[in-house]
Amino acid sequence: MKKSYIKIIIFTVLFTMSVHVNTALASDRFLDIQEVKTTNGFNAWLVEDHTLPIISIKFSFKGAGSKNATKDKQGITRLLSSTLDEGAGNYDSQAFQQALLNHSISLSYSSNRDHFSGELLTLTKYKDKAFELLKLSINEPTFSDDAVMRMKNAISSNIRNKISNPEWMAYRVLLDKAYSGHPYALNSGGTLTTIPSLSRDDLINYKNNYLTKDSLVISAAGDINASELAILIDDIFSHLPDNSKASNIPSIEIQNGGNIFLYELDIPQTIIEIMQPGIDRSSPDYFTAQLLNFILGGGGFGSRLTEELREKRGLTYGVYSSFSMRDHADAMTVSTSTKNETAKECLDLIQSELNKLKVALVSDKELSNAKSYLIGSMPLTLSSTSNITSLIHNLQIDDMPLDYLDTRANKLNAVTKEDIKMLAKKLLAPEQLTISLVGKPRGINVTESITELPNAE
Amino acid sequence: MTPFEFYKVNSSKYLFLIFCQLFLILGFINKADAQEKIFNAKTYSLDNGLQVVLIENHRAPVVTHMVWYKVGAADEPRGKSGIAHFMEHLMFKGSEGLAPGDFSKIVRSLGGQDNAFTSQDFTSYYQSIAVDYLPEVMKMEAGRMRGMNPPLEEVSSERLVILEERKQRVDNNPKSHFNEQIRYALFPNHPYGTPVIGWSHEIKALLWEDAKAFYDKWYRPNNAILIISGDITLEELKPLVQKAYGNLEPSDIPDRQWTSMPPLPGNYEITLKHEQIKQPTLVFIFRTPSASQDKEASLALEVFQEVMSGGASTRLYKSLVVDKKLATNISLSYDSLGIGETTLSIHAYPNKDVELSQLKLEVLNELREVILNGVKDQELKEAKTRMIDASIYARDSLKGAAMIFGMALASGLSIDDIEYWHKNIDSVTPQQIQDAVTKYINPDNSNLRPYIVGYMLPETD
Repeated sequence: MKKSYIKIIIFTVLFTMSVHVNTALASDRFLDIQEVKTTNGFNAWLVEDHTLPIISIKFSFKGAGSKNATKDKQGITRLLSSTLDEGAGNYDSQAFQQALLNHSISLSYSSNRDHFSGELLTLTKYKDKAFELLKLSINEPTFSDDAVMRMKNAISSNIRNKISNPEWMAYRVLLDKAYSGHPYALNSGGTLTTIPSLSRDDLINYKNNYLTKDSLVISAAGDINASELAILIDDIFSHLPDNSKASNIPSIEIQNGGNIFLYELDIPQTIIEIMQPGIDRSSPDYFTAQLLNFILGGGGFGSRLTEELREKRGLTYGVYSSFSMRDHADAMTVSTSTKNETAKECLDLIQSELNKLKVALVSDKELSNAKSYLIGSMPLTLSSTSNITSLIHNLQIDDMPLDYLDTRANKLNAVTKEDIKMLAKKLLAPEQLTISLVGKPRGINVTESITELPNAE
Repeated sequence: MTPFEFYKVNSSKYLFLIFCQLFLILGFINKADAQEKIFNAKTYSLDNGLQVVLIENHRAPVVTHMVWYKVGAADEPRGKSGIAHFMEHLMFKGSEGLAPGDFSKIVRSLGGQDNAFTSQDFTSYYQSIAVDYLPEVMKMEAGRMRGMNPPLEEVSSERLVILEERKQRVDNNPKSHFNEQIRYALFPNHPYGTPVIGWSHEIKALLWEDAKAFYDKWYRPNNAILIISGDITLEELKPLVQKAYGNLEPSDIPDRQWTSMPPLPGNYEITLKHEQIKQPTLVFIFRTPSASQDKEASLALEVFQEVMSGGASTRLYKSLVVDKKLATNISLSYDSLGIGETTLSIHAYPNKDVELSQLKLEVLNELREVILNGVKDQELKEAKTRMIDASIYARDSLKGAAMIFGMALASGLSIDDIEYWHKNIDSVTPQQIQDAVTKYINPDNSNLRPYIVGYMLPETD
């Protein structure tokens, strides 16, 4: 509350002095993002904030995700992300882990289908050690037999646990069917068969082929300035191989629309996972889609799906919709779970709500509430240093401009009810949903019964 | 874990949480180095008994606003399990000036987020929102402290929602079901043995009258704590609090009357074999004193947790996963917060071809080792350093400070217990740790407090 008073005072004073005010005050922007260009040609985004002695760095190798793995190498990115921090340079596995632990440094790697990423979080007082360990892990990982075996065992245990989880099972079947024929259909975390078979050479080759300079995107936030960041980036990343060996992967439409797949499991609920075609991140309909999704099921309470399934009928504890925008496939997803007796009713209601959006305008109130939330809740996303890094990192990965967050509100506000109906009409396909069910639902015309989880064991 | 522990930085691949808690525990700590108090929280009380706590954080123009009621599932009448949680749901279904569902929709339309959760000891309702809208959420929250009035058809439909929630969280997964069973055995004759969400057959029979009785008995300003963290000063806050909450009437709050546990001589091994389980799992659970019951032992156990299970180079993982290769993963977790006794649990996944009985023996031997020889100075020093560092990370969160104060105060701790936590941790001695483990985590002398070894196995041997 204090801050807004000060802004008003400064503005008033400057106006009365008739001085030309440079309106690009930091306080006009939603977030003060700096573009940092390094000597060796890297380009990073930085939100500098010295309030807390914490530094967060996130980096991704675009296109280095699990989509590059062939069927027999499923899980290679999972294993790689688990072993990069298990010994590097002169540190053996225990020594490396101990160095991280006793300096309270968090260094972790992860991968999704599209990109391979790393995250570093450190207190300022340990930053030198943190940067040293990051540099070693990304340039000279040891991949000792012992550590690789141990990580394989841990991953296998993790897979076994997932296989017991009905929500995970439903999602596995969904991806297998919706992305049928495409690398996206494979299991990004590996299977109980492929994980043990991966070799040290597989890890080294994958790293050299895909974790390369030309695909690198870097973001930082916290107690660090631009020049320090630039020096650090050059020091850590300059020695990586230049060019990625990633081959072109084709795009794919969502497959198996109109088909229902059931993995029968003796549980009291039916888990429902649905996919249908979506839109691209760079689509001119992007902001319309954000609002459409919020109204449909992304907004929780107040959304169409939550009102119809949970609030009015008590059919479920949770129902959500979202847009999934990967590099080579775009989808809209709906997920929920309900007792077996009402699975059909839920499916019918979901289809019905999709239809409604195609034929009737949303109300003024729904639209204004959606805009209010999507715009007004933005400050809540700045909830931690690493969350700020993630926010800007995602924008960089999506090739968004530096001022994206400053123009976002206007773009959302410009969307009309008619825009939403038009998008719904061309996009929503209630008769062409790809549906994955786990449970023992009644009265549903199942296209195919699944008896074995695809690419799990 | 302790509220501060959640902010310990750890490679995520080493952490695995099997227990699915119905409430989220977040810790948030302010800059701890060179500071006497961690948060410098400010507190006062209204005439009607409402305690107010403010933790300032001017990093962004937002606040988190929380009301914590000092009542939870453990206070439910016998046979009415799930009523406290049901009540929490019904609070969103109509109150002073608000139609069913309006509460959350209005918060959302103001760009805010809201939620609530129920535990054994407390129930909490909160919103995170731009500080400019704090008066609005205060008005609504205060309005439902005494003004909850859901229409009966909402009560019926929300009962269905709760049954679905139970199915989703528990009944769909035999492991969750098993955890319920373990807890039931661990707390004989005590309300903590009943799940917060309630038993299905009792949920089905819950009536509006039950909720209303519970509400009228416990939901009063003098049984609540108001916690604010964020971009506001005490001078700005006080008039807002007075306006929203000042006119609420207190009443006599009954003493909490919980049945207590008898001393029992035997220990339990409980086994679940189920076709849905693919990964054999070994679980150990001990009953432990909470911080409000035995401060010294509790602090010692917090440090013990860090020594044993802080990361890949700490005792359990190093010994059983790295050196002996008996497990693929292992972790130990101590829960320090509770009005009543809490738990210390150990989870381990055996490596292939390792007998569970062998792994069990090795884990228990790790405990015996500490009982016999204590912890080493070096590992103790390192553990304390990490825990104090965690306190700095904990500051890096929007609602963390409010969460930590709410949980601590609603669990019977004082403001000073939180403010001086880092100093208290620092003063834990090796002897205190050895004593606490000997008394409470002792496989060979459970001191009439039975512990449980649980086995989760696939159907086929």
